[in-house]
Amino acid sequence: MQTFHSIGTSADWIVMVVYFLAIMIFGSYFGRYTRSTTDFFFGGRRFSWWLITISIVATGVGSHSFVKYSAKGFEHGISSTMTYMNDWFFVPFFIFGWLPIVVYSKIRSIPEYFEKRFSPSARFLATILLLLYMIGYIGIGFLTLGKALIPMLPESFMMFGATFPITLMGAIIVIAIITGIYITYGGQTAVIFTDLLQGAILIFAGLLLFALGLAFVGGFDAFWNILPMTWKLPLADFNQPPNFNFVGIFWQDAIAGSIGFLFMNQGLLMRFMACKSVNEGRKAAAVNILFVLPVSAIVVGNAGWIGKAISIINPDLVPVNTSPDQIFVVVANIVSQPGVFGFVMAALTAALMSTVDTLINATAAIFINDVYRPIHRLMNKAKTLSGSADKRELLVARYASMGITALGVLAVLAFKNFPTVYEAHGYFHSTLTPPLVVAIFLGIFWKKFTPAAVITTFLGGVGLMLLGARYPGIFIAPFDHGITMNPSHPYSYIRALYNILVCSGVGVIVGLTTGWQKRAVSRLSQNGETLMKALVGVSILLFFVPLFNMGSSTFQFIDLLLLVVVLPLVVTHYVSYDEEKNTKGLITSSIEEARIGFKSGLPNDREGIKVEVSWKLSEGDEDYVRFSKDDMIKMAANSEDLVYLCDKRKWLGGLKSIHSRIGKSHDEPGIVYLTKEQSRNGLFVKNRILEAEKEM
Amino acid sequence: MLPFEHTWLPFIYLYSLGGILFSIGIWIIFRAKSIDLKRSHHRRWLFILFFGFVWYFSIHGLVNLAALDVIRPFYILVGLFIEFIIFIVVVKLMKSHGTGEV
Repeated sequence: MQTFHSIGTSADWIVMVVYFLAIMIFGSYFGRYTRSTTDFFFGGRRFSWWLITISIVATGVGSHSFVKYSAKGFEHGISSTMTYMNDWFFVPFFIFGWLPIVVYSKIRSIPEYFEKRFSPSARFLATILLLLYMIGYIGIGFLTLGKALIPMLPESFMMFGATFPITLMGAIIVIAIITGIYITYGGQTAVIFTDLLQGAILIFAGLLLFALGLAFVGGFDAFWNILPMTWKLPLADFNQPPNFNFVGIFWQDAIAGSIGFLFMNQGLLMRFMACKSVNEGRKAAAVNILFVLPVSAIVVGNAGWIGKAISIINPDLVPVNTSPDQIFVVVANIVSQPGVFGFVMAALTAALMSTVDTLINATAAIFINDVYRPIHRLMNKAKTLSGSADKRELLVARYASMGITALGVLAVLAFKNFPTVYEAHGYFHSTLTPPLVVAIFLGIFWKKFTPAAVITTFLGGVGLMLLGARYPGIFIAPFDHGITMNPSHPYSYIRALYNILVCSGVGVIVGLTTGWQKRAVSRLSQNGETLMKALVGVSILLFFVPLFNMGSSTFQFIDLLLLVVVLPLVVTHYVSYDEEKNTKGLITSSIEEARIGFKSGLPNDREGIKVEVSWKLSEGDEDYVRFSKDDMIKMAANSEDLVYLCDKRKWLGGLKSIHSRIGKSHDEPGIVYLTKEQSRNGLFVKNRILEAEKEM
Repeated sequence: MLPFEHTWLPFIYLYSLGGILFSIGIWIIFRAKSIDLKRSHHRRWLFILFFGFVWYFSIHGLVNLAALDVIRPFYILVGLFIEFIIFIVVVKLMKSHGTGEV
């Protein structure tokens, strides 16, 4: 396989350095709006849909990167786009299920949802799985960044008379240091605004590259006619070859990946939570998936298609055996001028950094919320979150970001031996997402899904997944849809189907047998605690068998079936759970209750209009804003309703805004009274008109 | 002649299995009453959800036809542009019946 080094000129490097400096200054400017951990992680829940939509581009496109889709585009053609265009099936679940639950229940992280919905032990296991997922994702991001930059770097460099080779890991460590510095001092607001800029630039750079590529090969008709018919099909062959087939990628990406990305990617979820309302979050998600993703699919894959076309008409320029992970850089260099190539590469690497930034920020949020705070509470040091505690948490969040960056670099080691980034990412998704995806999905849509069911899904499901990973020929083969097993990387994609089936099978069986478990536990506990304690020990032993690969596949399988029977009894006995209380406002059938909880009163759904108001300072420090009677009628609002106030200038996207509650009305139409604290939090400017709309 | 396994089978698999999942999603949100057709913006959202399904079905279907030389690639753009215009017009029309939702 042919690899490249030292691609590009000094002009390209100058453009890249200038671009990165500009982005960092831009991000740092918005970092000053970070006042608390809420701002650091969630951007203060104030932004408009369009701002979040564009900022998601950099996150989404970065993670499903130029490198891996160009590689698959070069190897297999337009079907490289299929993973970008199969997310719509889960959108109803997301925008009318998960999104309102997340916003209205005021949870800050996915594990927190598990504690509210199930139990602290479920939260503990969810935290471990989620941290593994997020850190693995950061590792994939760093690996992609490294692979993107290596072709531009020389093979080695001289320092103090000695020659040092430039390795993939060396490049990744340098990238990680730059990324870590930026995210540590920026926070979510900085990330959102940086991504806003980069998202737009990224789309422009990708489309520019496509236009230049088409011009290079002689126009669109020439390009279309050069490509073989198989390269033009939008979906891959059903089950061939093992490293890129439709059915495997359907289960790995359209099912596990889509649910994983929409439902358990804390980074993406935090973007939607930064929207000013649920409806704005819906708009951001819908516009992104409907219109931005198809364009992004072209943006990220076209270098591979152009590369294929060039390799047919001029194999000396792009050899057929070019390393797929390098094709993006090779094609960008061929079709663009010096300087333009630097700009395209800067946009690519900056976008990848955005993804990693978002993930690091999100993982730090999980660390603070689900590791630091519970431990701190356990040590009884912070019963309430005082101002100084929040400052301390902000500091810890910044240190956590650095630690997570380091762990992300270490995670690269687990993926760097896959032939391409695409396969590493596919394997990662198939393996790590199913237990959490199944647990979240059943948790939000099925009231009968109990703590016993979720914990058994986590432990029993992981056990069965380990079994499948060790004996793919026995356990995964029955679901392979005719895909040939590659012994070095068996069933990279279709293993997602097996993993989802075993996890959901365990969850559903345990959920359906809740009544039996309660009766069994009540009988067993009549004989005292000793038997139940013994069952705890038995459960631990049963879980250790597949964990440490003890015995044959049949023995481990029977062991896991026993675990699925015994573990729910232990959980039912030791975990207190009230189905009504634990599902209130936390499952789709009780979203109305979630809204009532969010408002602390009955929502007012009468439809009114937005009003424009001037603001004045009022005395007092209560958290109310006061409108005139006329404006309240226009908004169809009552006192105690929730209201959103923002600077009228649309282009600010909600940066200067607050959420508040409506207080007693007054008689001055067009005026709203705010406290000093509210005007400060909203970053409102004197004499600037505000726009107000009733939330609920 | 390309085999059926590469031309239409993936398309049929994607939209039949995906269609079942999508329908279950719609059924669940109705059953859970998280979508309320009395609210004008929820009616609009229901239209957007169905439009999304048809939109992706069209993209994959038209590109497949173009790849198999049944239609010219230009007609992909024409078909999608018409759909997009219909989307914008319907969403605008539905929006005029209700304002101020958050």
